[in-house]
Amino acid sequence: MAREHLLKVGVSGVRGVIGGFLTPGLAASFAQAFGTYVGQGPVVLGRDTRTSGPMLTHAVNCGLLAAGCEVIDLGVMPTPTIQIYIAHRKARGGIALTASHNPPEYNALKLFNHEGLFFNQYERSELLDLFHQSQFTQAGNDEIRSVKQDFTTAPALHFERVLRHVDADRIRSRRFRVALDGVNGAGSAMSVEFLGTVLATRLEAIAVDPTQVFPRIAEPRPDTLTDLAALVRRTGADIGFGQDPDGDRLAVCDENGTVLDNDDVLALAVQRALAHTPGDVVVNLTTSATIDDIAARHGRRVHRTPVGEANVVERMQAVKAAIGGEGSSGGIIFPAVHLCRDSYTAMALLLDLMAETGQTVSALVAGLPRYTRLAGKVPFEHGRLGTLMQNLEASFPDAQTIRTDGLKLLWEGRWLHVRSSNTEPLLRLAVEARTPGEAQTLFDEAWRRLTD
Amino acid sequence: MNKALRISHVGLRGIVGQGLTATHVLEFAAAFGTFLEPGRPVVLGRDPRLSGHMIREGVLASLLACGHDVIDLGVVSTPVVQHAIQRLDAAGGIAISASHNTIDWNALRFFGPSGIYLNTAEAGELLDIYHLRRFRFAPWDQLGKLTVTTDAIDAYLDGLARVFDLPRLRPLRVVVDCCNGASALILRRMNERFGCGFILINERVDGRTVAHTPNTSASIVELQLAPLMQPLQADAGFLFDMDADRVALADELGRGISEEMVLPLLADSLLPVSPGKLIIANLSSTALLEDVAARHGGRVLRVPVGRQAAIDALSTYRPEQIALAGEGTGAVMMPQFRFVYDGIASMLAILHTICDRGQPLSRILAGYPRHHILKAEVPLTSPRIPALLEELQELFPDGALDRSDGLRIAWPDRWFHVRVSQTEPIIRVIAEQRDREPRELFETLLDRVRRWN
Repeated sequence: MAREHLLKVGVSGVRGVIGGFLTPGLAASFAQAFGTYVGQGPVVLGRDTRTSGPMLTHAVNCGLLAAGCEVIDLGVMPTPTIQIYIAHRKARGGIALTASHNPPEYNALKLFNHEGLFFNQYERSELLDLFHQSQFTQAGNDEIRSVKQDFTTAPALHFERVLRHVDADRIRSRRFRVALDGVNGAGSAMSVEFLGTVLATRLEAIAVDPTQVFPRIAEPRPDTLTDLAALVRRTGADIGFGQDPDGDRLAVCDENGTVLDNDDVLALAVQRALAHTPGDVVVNLTTSATIDDIAARHGRRVHRTPVGEANVVERMQAVKAAIGGEGSSGGIIFPAVHLCRDSYTAMALLLDLMAETGQTVSALVAGLPRYTRLAGKVPFEHGRLGTLMQNLEASFPDAQTIRTDGLKLLWEGRWLHVRSSNTEPLLRLAVEARTPGEAQTLFDEAWRRLTD
Repeated sequence: MNKALRISHVGLRGIVGQGLTATHVLEFAAAFGTFLEPGRPVVLGRDPRLSGHMIREGVLASLLACGHDVIDLGVVSTPVVQHAIQRLDAAGGIAISASHNTIDWNALRFFGPSGIYLNTAEAGELLDIYHLRRFRFAPWDQLGKLTVTTDAIDAYLDGLARVFDLPRLRPLRVVVDCCNGASALILRRMNERFGCGFILINERVDGRTVAHTPNTSASIVELQLAPLMQPLQADAGFLFDMDADRVALADELGRGISEEMVLPLLADSLLPVSPGKLIIANLSSTALLEDVAARHGGRVLRVPVGRQAAIDALSTYRPEQIALAGEGTGAVMMPQFRFVYDGIASMLAILHTICDRGQPLSRILAGYPRHHILKAEVPLTSPRIPALLEELQELFPDGALDRSDGLRIAWPDRWFHVRVSQTEPIIRVIAEQRDREPRELFETLLDRVRRWN
């Protein structure tokens, strides 16, 4: 029996449905715990375009001020832009109000440390303990600071950081025709400025009104980007970009109106990054082996982590990686700009790759190692998870086994990965192989074992 | 014992950080958001205290979450909030202000439609919702919207200018101690717009520092304001608390005038134009009120101490039956202002009286019978207060008895009142006599109260 997850308070913060679940009181308390943890000083706050953003901004302001912090409110701002600003401003930390790709009735608090990075797992659990203990710093009248607003510094700062790592003049000189679906998200205005003005592309944009609700399912995937694909075909665009509401994820459409597999987008970015930047690659266990092939061409290592941006970022920082990301969920992390998932860096790297090679998107994708990926969800009963995993492992004795996040079984040229969802009693099954036939066989075999 | 938090029918009040926390603010504002009918906006204003920044954010979050549009007036006096509720036809409002408490305190004060205080039944319902914590939050697509306005003080001044002839006050030399509160913003603007020429002191508004306790008691006036009167050759001096709902005064001779005098002074100027009407005052206020009322054929209705009792009494009469209502603390409500405690309106009414009479303030005051009032506080140590009151009552069997709030016994020339404070753990003892100090009566009472255990 699937439970509806109306509220989740955990190590990754607070996420829930507006209207009695994620309440202003809960948001304020969590913010006060955060302020207590990071200490008195400036804390940066920004939000995506959800209707609950202003209400939660006031709640978080209240909690932060009560802890004696000074709030720098960036208003509607993409998450990566907030992260870059936190580090630049030497703030104590920051909070992004966004439920990322979740539906509009959700919202969440994403928490960042003084470097604008996700808290690592130790910091996260410490903060959660503080929240539950309710032992907050309580500022008196003369310690209470105010909210300062700065809506303009952060976007310019973000653009400047990104442009250091691409040949902007070369991109501008190509006058690419670019299609954009901004999902009316936090990046709407910024993306129009970035693509249309800063990179001088001939921009065709839809859903770039931040005052409107999301016009499509918020997660940018092939099946949610039909409007973007149509726009590309109608306008004859060279490339199409689809953002999520907080501007960290990016999906890409080629010049034929075909939305790329997110693993291929990451692969193209990795290809572009490794050509110019030293360092290894970090991806999660579910990301395509394409990345291994590309890294091998450049003589670099690939490090694999459990699923989750925070896990990838933590490892990237430790190994000083050149680039990283999570294939299927879309979005790349390029530390030279900032250790965060950033659709602007991704857009710039892809446009730069096109300008540098003179190739179309479809041609660039055709040049990638070819794999077939299949994915599915298997409901399971609570308490059966361990048995299912063990049965699966036993039925493939010849595979190399990785058990850091669910179960990954690995062969030459193919793999399968099963892990349980954090929010529902569901197993996520992903397989990859060099040919469609091989992939289907492996998928069917695993499916049978899991549903027997 | 310093109570750092108090949740009652009057609202939420406490020392910020020690007793009053963000959580209290969010929950109480959510209770108010649940209590109010949806549909019309809610007005919000705050006094200059720094903690008002934090509390404002919490109040906004909860009201918006309950689906109410909010109109934020910024830093204003409490009467300005009440005026705006009426002007904007709002569902109600919240003033963030601990008024006359020290700067480290703050409070939420709740108002219904037309800016009137919640009566006891409504306040009780609000408290019940707060304690149940079952708030009515709106879904994601029906949340409220915030509007920030900066014209509330001007609109309030327009309202005052309709009742008072402000240019007529120009010849008077008036010193005002703003106590670093919201009155500074209002009076500065009044000077700009109407050329009133009020001399403002302690007018810096930073919410962090106050020149002295923002209290309208006679002792503060004596110390802070009165010594300035003669050097500045002022005709009158006034002192406000942080949110300007109370006022105290000093005369042109440099004497602090008891806050008790505000009510009789205003009664004396209002009753002639509203003969036979009612003055609502509490059991601890001066008997001079009865003298003044007798001159103009008015009548005094005595009610228990506290704003709530005055509000409840007000609501049992028609507005046109009432000339004035208030307390001996310098908090006075006038019918022209829909019965809102308004220190600035009280000041203007007194200044008009000075103009009308063409007499200095000291001369006007000298025209009243002299009542001598003695007040003391005794720490509350015994729970057996009813027995104490019983004993005192037996001691004075010949006076007119009122047991509606502690014990008050009155004779034609004197009265006393013994009661337990609602805000602090103390017993208040007050005695007053016409023409001479009731020293003997006062000492007898104090002795009994102090020895009681």
